[in-house]
Amino acid sequence: MKKILLLAFFALAQQVIAQQFLTREATLSFDAGSPLEDIYAVSESASAVYDAASGKLGVQVLMTSFQFKRALMQEHFNENYVESEKFPKAQFTGTYEGGQAVGQLTIHGQTKDIAVPCELLKADGGLLLQTEFPVTVEDFGVSIPGAVSDKIAKEAKVTLRATLKKR
Amino acid sequence: MKWGSILLGTLLSISALGQEDDLFALMDIPETRQITYATFKGTKIINAQSNETPGEGVLQYIISHRFGSFSNDYFYHFLGLDNAQIRMQLDYGVTNRLNVGIGRSSYLKVADGFVKYRLLRQKSGAEFFPFSLTLYSSAFYRGARYTDGVEHFLSDRLSYHNQAIFARKFGDKLSLLMAPSAVHWNLVPGASDPNTTFHVQMGGRYKLTNRLALTGEICPGSNLEYSDGSRFYTPFAIGVDLETGGHVFQFHLSNTNSMSDPLWMAQNPYNPWDGSIFLGFNISRVFTVKD
Repeated sequence: MKKILLLAFFALAQQVIAQQFLTREATLSFDAGSPLEDIYAVSESASAVYDAASGKLGVQVLMTSFQFKRALMQEHFNENYVESEKFPKAQFTGTYEGGQAVGQLTIHGQTKDIAVPCELLKADGGLLLQTEFPVTVEDFGVSIPGAVSDKIAKEAKVTLRATLKKR
Repeated sequence: MKWGSILLGTLLSISALGQEDDLFALMDIPETRQITYATFKGTKIINAQSNETPGEGVLQYIISHRFGSFSNDYFYHFLGLDNAQIRMQLDYGVTNRLNVGIGRSSYLKVADGFVKYRLLRQKSGAEFFPFSLTLYSSAFYRGARYTDGVEHFLSDRLSYHNQAIFARKFGDKLSLLMAPSAVHWNLVPGASDPNTTFHVQMGGRYKLTNRLALTGEICPGSNLEYSDGSRFYTPFAIGVDLETGGHVFQFHLSNTNSMSDPLWMAQNPYNPWDGSIFLGFNISRVFTVKD
């Protein structure tokens, strides 16, 4: 009897845990290009987590995992713009509700409240998370020097696509 | 005992359930294997090579000037511009590790070619490695005519420089470099004069802002005189690095005005205490020729 009770408890615990979804291979990209310069980078190793019970949603990316076409641009991005040594990660923590992700976005050590449209769809065995939203570079204290201000978009278009698996 | 462990397991799973905030801890990405980037801004600190190479498919052009010395009729020579020395360099990143290039320096009309290879790279995180090691090898051809009335072979005109460049970036501001080097001249004035001399290049960078840095270097060597009475001085330089997009501007003061390695390293005749200080600059421009 005791054994059965315990098994039932474990099963229940498992059930609750199983409502959490996770990936470490989310594709997160941004486009801050202009007609003068093609500035695009993509990370294939962002992580995303979602808890179905509470609706909590989190996304994290390592700044140095963004791959640019040009090595020098990647170096400048890390060294001069987002200062990856000081601020190695960007992240979103918040909730998903009714087609919106609402919460805090932290980039370059600065946190802003955001609410952006977001899709969370059932995919086989997991969830598909998709969103696209603009980020105003200056809002996060990333300064763009005058000499290159024509070349870099004031608003970067951020795109996320993640397939989360049950854990 | 068995029941005890089951109970413990149960307690653990309950406690795991209790900590809702741990959800966000789940997504935490460990910072594994971060290759250290931008130890130095340029492929040179000032005269010395840094551990950096251009990325794959990047063509780099560097133009350098060293103006006349402050002690040599500075205003008469229009702030030294009239007797400026010039060097041009064109180099290419074959891979992210391999760099090859050619150069031409006006003093003694020296043409050169070099190969630079990043052997080891500093890393942080799980695959921690404390420093970068870049190997650099170059050969120089003196184009200037000899005025000693002796017939010279082609081999007389050649000299070489090889070095192992150890560099480490300490945090995001300070980078230091140490490079044991060997310079070889096929021709030296006397039989007792060393053909090969050894040097220890030391240099550093301190970042003031994201785009502005202070730099400095000094290069003591094993030989400071030749039997013909020539006297040499330890070369040093201090400068600033200014970066704007694809350009790196380096402005500096040094006690050298030649820019081919064997000359400024092993045969630098300028005594800084006599006021032989030269203003100079290097400007590099990179072009991505292969995406």
